[in-house]
Amino acid sequence: MKTRDPITNLINALSKFPGIGERTATRLAFFVLKEPVEFANELASALIEVKEKVGLCQRCCNLTEGDLCAICRDTRRDPTTICVVESTPDLRAIEGTGDFRGTYHVLHGVISPLEGVGPDDLHVRELLDRMRPGPDQQATPVTEVIVATSPSVDGEATALYLLRLLRPLGVRVSRIASGVPIGGELEYTDRVTLSRAIAQRRDM
Amino acid sequence: MLLEALHLHHFRNLSKVRVEPHQRFNILAGDNGQGKTNFLEAIYLLSAVKSFRPSTNNASLIGFGHEQAVLEAKVERGGYERVVRVDVSERGKRVFLNENPVRNLSDFFGTVNVVTFGPEDIYILKGGPSERRRFVDRAIFNAHPAYATEAMNFEEILKHRNALLKGDGYDANLFAVYDEQFIDYAASMLQRRLDFIHHFRPVLERTFRAIFDPDFETEIAYEMKWPSTSPGHDGSLDELREDRVGVERLLQRGLEQSMREERQRGFTVIGPHRDDLSTTLNGRDVKTFASQGQHRAFVLAMKIAEITYLEERYHFAPILLLDDVSSELDRERNRHLFDFLRGREQGQVFITTTHRDYILLEDDVSVYRVQAGEVCPC
Repeated sequence: MKTRDPITNLINALSKFPGIGERTATRLAFFVLKEPVEFANELASALIEVKEKVGLCQRCCNLTEGDLCAICRDTRRDPTTICVVESTPDLRAIEGTGDFRGTYHVLHGVISPLEGVGPDDLHVRELLDRMRPGPDQQATPVTEVIVATSPSVDGEATALYLLRLLRPLGVRVSRIASGVPIGGELEYTDRVTLSRAIAQRRDM
Repeated sequence: MLLEALHLHHFRNLSKVRVEPHQRFNILAGDNGQGKTNFLEAIYLLSAVKSFRPSTNNASLIGFGHEQAVLEAKVERGGYERVVRVDVSERGKRVFLNENPVRNLSDFFGTVNVVTFGPEDIYILKGGPSERRRFVDRAIFNAHPAYATEAMNFEEILKHRNALLKGDGYDANLFAVYDEQFIDYAASMLQRRLDFIHHFRPVLERTFRAIFDPDFETEIAYEMKWPSTSPGHDGSLDELREDRVGVERLLQRGLEQSMREERQRGFTVIGPHRDDLSTTLNGRDVKTFASQGQHRAFVLAMKIAEITYLEERYHFAPILLLDDVSSELDRERNRHLFDFLRGREQGQVFITTTHRDYILLEDDVSVYRVQAGEVCPC
């Protein structure tokens, strides 16, 4: 790699981003070349900084600069309820609602044997550790775990797996509901969602 | 179900086709290699969004030297007129319904219903079990479009489970999850198939007697593959078609008994992906004991019964695509086929042939000549 010219090196590096092909990478590389050197310096140090400073929260595996993330540090959050999500963007989506006052646990992926992703590749062990209060864990025991993985085949398998591990520990395990979007029109809802919404209807 | 207009651009060798088909019989006549089967394939593709030719890639569907093929049809069903369009490029297929892009295929399936009958169907009983599973699955899909998604989800779970079986670690909880998922999806498929066979069986029996010999007794049954090292399941599968718990229990037992075999072989050895149909005539296996004539009559009866089943149970007439079948049937069977087609009160049919005189149809007919990728009425 080092023997190639600098422009090719940059294009190769940029094209590793998801969703970026060689053509877009070339455009980005020439944009960097055209901009003043300060831009390149800023970008480079921002890239280094994010890798050096951002790590995983010791409790919930959310991304954070310190030992604990802002949510785990916040004493007003309810530590007895944990919402399990696949990724940080998913966490942000739920935070965006402003309605959830519990804490989170970020798995950083879903179980997928086909792609060689097993429970050990996700942060499942850390979740289990939070169920048994130890010296460095929170004082109040967890009473409910909400599994908010996607309603896809892999997300569903991950949810079922967590259920198997958590239920014997005596904690309440729930799954986020799926169905017709609020404000959406029934006739435009896709068939799979609609048939599940009918199957999982609730009493009024 | 009516195809009112069909427009094709750069689809295989059919560079420009505009046809307004007859609502009953459409005969596509021409020599081999002129594009007759491609015409039928286009209609099929507008229904299933894939080719009926196995393992076809997108590039091969596009006319030489072009970037995309466009297939469009105006279809009528139950009084509603819809325009369906499929754009095929090397990168993929895009589906439009009334000009709007279809994001979820499960919403599109069921818009166009077709039943195909081609030379390869003659070997449905002689080929491997996958041929017979495809027959059953196609018939179910026509009446229950959601079945396609169910089958796809099952395939995905199956792949995961097989990957686990091939892997070296053993996590009992993880296996339990995939067993549970496998049983869930497999049970749904199994029940759909058992339900189909239950209602299809009497139609087949009646059809075979009508076209071959009233003294023959036909039997068709769903055969569940069982681990080779264990005794089979007992009791009738037919009774399980409405017994969800029973089906799940059966699959559970199957998995338990095949544990050693599947660990050894590295894949799931029982389930809907391994099952088969058994067919008998007067108690003897069709595949091994039937004469050539009986065999072909049985296959023809299966196809006719498939159409009749859809019409009687679901009250709709699918579009029929018959690809050069007359050359594979003897005279007597050919006559039965056309008696049946003429006897239907409604239903649109597309038939390809090299010889117009094989096609025993005179009334309600449009004939098209297919030559070097051109389709012209004549």
